[in-house]
Amino acid sequence: MTDDKILLTARYVEGDMDAIERAGYETQMENDADLQQHLIDYNYIHESLKMKLAPDDADLLFRDTLSKFNSEYFHPQQVAKTISLKPYVKWLSGIAAVLFLGLLIWAPWRMSLYESFAGNNQMTVAERGAEKETNLDKAAAFYNVKDYKSAKILLEKEHVAQPENAMVNYYYGKTLLETQQIGEGRVMLNGVYNGQSVFKYDAAYAVAMSYLKADNKDACRIWLQKIPAGTAHFEQAKALLEKL
Amino acid sequence: MSKSPHPDQRYLIALVNNDAGVINEIYKKCAGKVKSFILFNNGSADDAEDIFQESLVDVYNQAKYKKLELTCPFEPFLLLVCKRKWLNEIKKRSILPVTKSDDSLLHVGEDTFEQAELLEKQQEQTETFLKAFEKLGDRCKEIITWSMKGEAQEKVAETLGVTYGYLRKKKSECMASLIKMVQNKL
Repeated sequence: MTDDKILLTARYVEGDMDAIERAGYETQMENDADLQQHLIDYNYIHESLKMKLAPDDADLLFRDTLSKFNSEYFHPQQVAKTISLKPYVKWLSGIAAVLFLGLLIWAPWRMSLYESFAGNNQMTVAERGAEKETNLDKAAAFYNVKDYKSAKILLEKEHVAQPENAMVNYYYGKTLLETQQIGEGRVMLNGVYNGQSVFKYDAAYAVAMSYLKADNKDACRIWLQKIPAGTAHFEQAKALLEKL
Repeated sequence: MSKSPHPDQRYLIALVNNDAGVINEIYKKCAGKVKSFILFNNGSADDAEDIFQESLVDVYNQAKYKKLELTCPFEPFLLLVCKRKWLNEIKKRSILPVTKSDDSLLHVGEDTFEQAELLEKQQEQTETFLKAFEKLGDRCKEIITWSMKGEAQEKVAETLGVTYGYLRKKKSECMASLIKMVQNKL
């Protein structure tokens, strides 16, 4: 009996009832304390699972904020501060500090997975044949030699001129990521992901990579899971998920 | 009679809104204390970072998804949550006993203690739900996870290669199985 009520409640919440069944459930619930409790329990369990299994973008951005503060408060940079050192030792410690800082930023021990999975990062402009070189052609040329700053300036203009162009938005988002405008880049790519273009799952993969680079494996995993079988990055996403 | 929220409810609102200014304030007030406590009790700076982040995420989740209302001051509440989390972690790892097992980190009121206990209880419940989820078949897990991603259910059905009607039916059955497992204590 209880089992029936649990299934009935699940079907009610999930919209798996026709209008008559639905009305019947609602009438029954008015005088059935068990059924009322089942509905409360269902919603509670559903929300508890949702917050763990499918965090939304706001949840990921929140974790991002925490990651930034974590480095600041739990791992402050260890720059040597010694007052009585001789000048040449001071210079050496300064150089060591710079090298140490550079190493922290470069973080090769964390980059290895990223480097393995970032893949071929080339921009291809599909519409060719015009006599005059377009802004997009120029942007692609900069992009393909990794001059992301110059590519970004051109792509930003294209984005303003045609804000709905998924290809422009995708590459613009990637240049934002490459030039350390991580938040803006993710927002741009999230817009592409929410659309229906051929870049949809490329955008999801790019966002996943941005989290991998930031060593946020949870968020990376979530974005990789958005990539379905049969799409370009599926195999890479699957392999990376196994490694994470 | 239910209590009205404490003025420090503003911290929960700030967490949910990802207000970096207030989050920084929280770190300034509490991160050092948590770090000292954990270092003093056989942990490392990395442990402190993990515990602090997990605690903030728990509080954020409860505030966002369960409408948690704070009836006590925020700082002792968060410190107590971190402390209890670390003590549980120590138990799990079966490492050296805690240096101080009393409530020496801070003196807390009854309200704070109750609220921290409630949070911990809700976390334990969520762990139970996740265990039940893990016991479901792969297809059920896939359907539940995808349908929770916030996308239109018609689109989810298309992605999974099923009809919208089948998705609703299957999800109802999967969720009902999960709830039965929870009610039967797995």
